[in-house]
Amino acid sequence: MIDFVVAQLLGFSSALYILVVDPITYVYLIPAVFLGIVFGALPGLTATLAVTILTGFFGNKFPLDQALIALIGSYVGAIYGGSYPSILLNIPGTAASAATSMDGYPLTKKGLGGEALGLTTTASFIGTLFGTFCLLIFVWLLLIVSKNIASPEKALLALFGILLSGTLMSQDLVIKGWISGLIGLAMAMVGLDPLLSEARYTFDWSYLLSGFQVVPVLMGAFAIPQIMDGMREAIKLMKVPHVGRIRPEAREVGRHMPTILRSGAIGTGVGALPGVGEDVAGWVSYGVGKSMSKEGDQFGKGSKDGLISAEAANNAAIGGALIPLLVLGIPGSPPAAALLGALKINNVIPGPTIDPALILHIVAILVLASLTMLLMGLLTAKIFIKILRIPQTVFLPVVMVLTTIGSFSVGGGINDLFLMIGVGLVAYAMNKMHYPIAPLVIGVILGGLFDETFRRSLLISDGDMTVFFSRPGAAILLTLNVLLVLSQIPAIKKMFAGLTDKFKRKVVK
Amino acid sequence: MDEKTILRARDFWTSIVLFVASLFFLFQTSKIPFFNSASAGVDSAQWYDSAALVPFGIFGILLVLSIVLFVISIRDGGAKVALSAVGLDIDLHEIKRLFSISLILAAYIFALVPRVDFIICSALMITALIWGYHRGFRPVTYIATAAVIVPSLYALIVNFPQSQWGKPHDDDWFTLVSFLALTATMFVVEFRAKKIDRVIKVTPVVAVLCPLILVLAMAFGFRQNVPNRTGLLFSQIEYNYYVNLRPLWQGKK
Repeated sequence: MIDFVVAQLLGFSSALYILVVDPITYVYLIPAVFLGIVFGALPGLTATLAVTILTGFFGNKFPLDQALIALIGSYVGAIYGGSYPSILLNIPGTAASAATSMDGYPLTKKGLGGEALGLTTTASFIGTLFGTFCLLIFVWLLLIVSKNIASPEKALLALFGILLSGTLMSQDLVIKGWISGLIGLAMAMVGLDPLLSEARYTFDWSYLLSGFQVVPVLMGAFAIPQIMDGMREAIKLMKVPHVGRIRPEAREVGRHMPTILRSGAIGTGVGALPGVGEDVAGWVSYGVGKSMSKEGDQFGKGSKDGLISAEAANNAAIGGALIPLLVLGIPGSPPAAALLGALKINNVIPGPTIDPALILHIVAILVLASLTMLLMGLLTAKIFIKILRIPQTVFLPVVMVLTTIGSFSVGGGINDLFLMIGVGLVAYAMNKMHYPIAPLVIGVILGGLFDETFRRSLLISDGDMTVFFSRPGAAILLTLNVLLVLSQIPAIKKMFAGLTDKFKRKVVK
Repeated sequence: MDEKTILRARDFWTSIVLFVASLFFLFQTSKIPFFNSASAGVDSAQWYDSAALVPFGIFGILLVLSIVLFVISIRDGGAKVALSAVGLDIDLHEIKRLFSISLILAAYIFALVPRVDFIICSALMITALIWGYHRGFRPVTYIATAAVIVPSLYALIVNFPQSQWGKPHDDDWFTLVSFLALTATMFVVEFRAKKIDRVIKVTPVVAVLCPLILVLAMAFGFRQNVPNRTGLLFSQIEYNYYVNLRPLWQGKK
């Protein structure tokens, strides 16, 4: 095991060295991290949007290893950037930083905004490194395991990703998440089917033969609802409070190191769950922190432990989200889904056959991006604070132009724009009715994989359905899928609640 | 009325839409060969690898879930208030505002971008959105929406077929005049109201520079395709770039 870890670290060091000595790295990295932080800091813009827009720009016209620097740089920057408005204005810049505002804003009200930002920056940096380290180690272990994964397991895993995302991302009824995932799956069915090239739901429109393109769907699903929602409300002038010194004390960071590491582990674990993402990671870590921390009763009143619990976790989730993406081609979070879109349009198929050098390259980018984020966070934070003063009504129309040209340039031309606005209007309506959008996007991305592998499994087994439970891996995944669905049925929920109560009473006796 | 009841009232209608859509797509799926499909006299598929298998599953489950949603909406009292505006939490002012935003975005994507110079139409859209929604005054919103809709309708009606999209037309000029008129109106109205703030001052700069820089970066920096290359401004930029500028720094002039 130690030999394996050492070999991994050596491979990573070599990849990092190649990246560090190449001047072109910084041409992509610095603007991308800066842009990411700006996107995260501006309420209404998200990490997913940052990665999606850059996917549109870099598309398949740039070498993938360079495009990845920009995409991952913006991803890391945006997740961190969301903490600025959370801490200073009590408005989460991204969903991932919603938990950050619980303690960040009370700290600002106490006049500790600068210290909170400094702590957040360091916690985000260490959290990202923690997630990256886990990615470096676990991705290889899982890749070895994934070599035994065949079509039945892939189909069930894709289904599990959609179901889990739908279950965990729903704010209202769980079936709304499932409906959203099913709509995404249905959208993925449009075009020529992958096995027999049978045209499905094309309505004699030749553009639809190639199916819905990922980038316009991503742009429509994530950008258009944000733009419409932001423009809907009249101007809200943001009074940014005065922030003092933004530099964390080493002693303070050291004191909170156990919290940072615990949150890093939670963040990575939650991030690794298919389709869940940084926002859930932040809340789960915050909840665990509240019950485990010595100052748990101070959570929500300006606790530094609470702040760190959320921030370290949401950044660690980045590394976690990339594990299922690289091992199985199943995105761990909505921004990872955008990243998968970029890999797809560059004809890179994540999974057991992925180029090992690409994984080490991604890990090296993550480390360099988190370092850039730390330096920018500590040295140029005042710029990001000034950016908070820009009203949404000014930057959202600019985002509309960005998404339009980005979506157009990927390849489908004007039809992609029609698709983008159509998906956008539907996504906006779904948002208003509390349907989560992430399962829809994950459904669109994984729908093709599910359709192909499900039917291939049956084709190989000559229509024998036992193929989905006669193999150990498939049986485990099928059980997980069934349990996930059953656990949401009210009667079963009640039964479990009753059993738990009985068990508790017995334990008390 | 509490948020849950409002949501259930909306769910009531959504479940009906989903039910109808599922039935429609199940009907469409039935057109895809399922059992013993054969084309040109050759057996091409069994039921288990038919292209209809997964769609049948998806729309079948969607149909069931729409019924579950329908039942939940009725059980939670959504159906009782589903026919009233209060029940659905419809605010007429908000609907108008939302409708005008949707109109501007739809006009921009469906009518202007395919037919009109990208820099000009983007400048018009940006100005309309910033000024029209910055403070939320209804008359201003209507003026801004009209400024986008009128040239959009002109471009749509005069140059509707796709064969006309790439050709230079007077709709570029029409849109340019609309943009200039809207900008002038914005300054006059705000000057009279003595409300010229930093946002108003910066609007024309953002409106012109943002799409200009983006198009230049995409076309000449990122070397990617951009909409409407024959547009009024972009065609001139592209011509001068290749005929005058590029030879200059390549030392051919």
